Amino acid sequence: MKGLTYGAVTRDIMRPLFKPSVAYLGLLGLSVALLAWGGYCWYVQLQWGLGVGGFQPPVFWGVYITTFVFWIGIGHAGTLISAILFLFRSRWRTGVYRAAEAMTIFAVMTAALFPAIHVGRAWNAYWLFPYPNQRELWQNFKSPLMWDVFAVSTYFSVSTIFFYVGLIPDIAAMRDKTTGLVHKMYRHLSLGWRGTDRQWRHYMAAYGFFAAFATPLVLSVHSVVSWDFAMAQTMGWHSTLFPPYFVAGAIFSGCAMVITLLLPMSKIFGWEDYIGTWHFESLAKMCLLTGGILTYSYAIEHYIGWYSDNPYEWGIFAFRATGAYNWVFWTMVTCNCIIPLVWWKKSWRTNWTILFVVSVFINIGMWFERYNIIASSLAHQFDPAAWVYYTPSWVELGILVGSFGWFFTWFLLFVKVMPSVAIAEVKELLRPPLKADEEAA
Amino acid sequence: MSAEGTTVKAVFAHLDSLVDGIAAVKRARLPDFVVTAPLPRHEIEELIYEGRPSPVRWFTLTGAIFGGTAGFSLASLTHLNWPMIIPAGKPLVSVPAFMVITFEATVFWGCLATLIGLIVMCRLPSFGLQEEVTDARFSDDCFGIIINGLAGAAVEEWKNKLLAAGAIEVTVSGSK
Repeated sequence: MKGLTYGAVTRDIMRPLFKPSVAYLGLLGLSVALLAWGGYCWYVQLQWGLGVGGFQPPVFWGVYITTFVFWIGIGHAGTLISAILFLFRSRWRTGVYRAAEAMTIFAVMTAALFPAIHVGRAWNAYWLFPYPNQRELWQNFKSPLMWDVFAVSTYFSVSTIFFYVGLIPDIAAMRDKTTGLVHKMYRHLSLGWRGTDRQWRHYMAAYGFFAAFATPLVLSVHSVVSWDFAMAQTMGWHSTLFPPYFVAGAIFSGCAMVITLLLPMSKIFGWEDYIGTWHFESLAKMCLLTGGILTYSYAIEHYIGWYSDNPYEWGIFAFRATGAYNWVFWTMVTCNCIIPLVWWKKSWRTNWTILFVVSVFINIGMWFERYNIIASSLAHQFDPAAWVYYTPSWVELGILVGSFGWFFTWFLLFVKVMPSVAIAEVKELLRPPLKADEEAA
Repeated sequence: MSAEGTTVKAVFAHLDSLVDGIAAVKRARLPDFVVTAPLPRHEIEELIYEGRPSPVRWFTLTGAIFGGTAGFSLASLTHLNWPMIIPAGKPLVSVPAFMVITFEATVFWGCLATLIGLIVMCRLPSFGLQEEVTDARFSDDCFGIIINGLAGAAVEEWKNKLLAAGAIEVTVSGSK
């Protein structure tokens, strides 16, 4: 970032906005098409009921819950980067945190669709929330599913507040550089922000508190998601290992998704000065750390299964690796444990092509990890008479594909109307303009 | 934030010049001035507020205490309202089981109250700020000091002082 000035930062970050290229429109068109296909599949399910899915007793948690957990995991990196790394004063977060936060919001918005899709009668989804009713019938707050409703909604609300507050000074900078209708939009969204001493003082105090709140929230939300499984008396799920295992997996997949999204964006928008090799290498190192924890977790849950001398517990882990779902298990191991090892070599974790390819493999591997946990445990329970092989139907896979369309449509719209790199914070990284410097020169 | 008397607006391209300007204003104990910047700088806050913490923290604390209490109460009172005995001898009001709801509500209301604190203390939305503060350069690459309520010889005096501090432009506007 040497040689950059405050003015150049504002200019560079605003340059790609509102000028959609053919490639951009093509990507947006593809995302909308995927979304439309997903929407059609959901319509089919609403029309005919959950019978259009591949569910068969006792497997009623399949692709939908897998995809729910996958998107919640993706949503982890944004707030981790913006909150935890803010508290640690990590300098590399500045270039990537805005886009990562946007990714978080859209990923949680995507995940939030799935409980409604999964229960079938989506119009009754409001039953999940406590509201006064004639029968004085309330939710069971001792149930991890209820904890999850609160954890995900709190995570979404807090991340959105954090995201919007972070955007305000940058929207104000854009307001002052635009005219017409766009100016009007930014004027209202900036809430009249002018960067006065009073505003900055309270802003920085509030931002610190948001970060302090978001930090335990990041760690708690996937712990709570893991309890959806760990609280159940199901083999392969009922383990105290789950919270750290899930949190590490979520950070692993979230950081990989940040690389997948930001690497092409940095290249296309010419933002290598702002989001460069340093940032991607740092993200790759985060993946190496969390990927290591994940690999250890995979190993240790198998070890505990064997060491417990419990035939049911050991049975499920042996089944995962060698049974009908072994292709899922080995896809997971290959993508999450083996392929990322190439990043231990510096020249490979700083090579943009390798970074991108490996990050895509991690995303695939992390979806399969959740599928491995959910499908295999339910399809292979205590009673051999109840063993089944669950295969997702085209409707379920269509909705899975549609979720990517939904996510990418939001993300692509965002990058064209809002600054995907934090203008004010990038300026903080630069040496401030000093008269003393000019005189010395 | 309208001002009586004459307003002097100084635009600075350098942070050290701005700091000199603020120091001069603080030394003179001028009661009504605004400093603007495109980014937060601790030098500015320390000079003006001398380490006094922002009152936003009281909003945060109040919100968090309210949230925690509300979350635990929601879980406990609803379970007492419909006494659903869950097998395995769990008590109706189960502290460990309700900790998750309590934690989430603490965080949610703490954040919401912090947001309210931010809006109240920053006086947002602030569409009616005086014109001198709304210079587009202040959100881009320049800093500013706007002194309100000056009269007579003080106007010229402050114009010269701010230029001497290193302002690249000083303008004077009439009474509001």
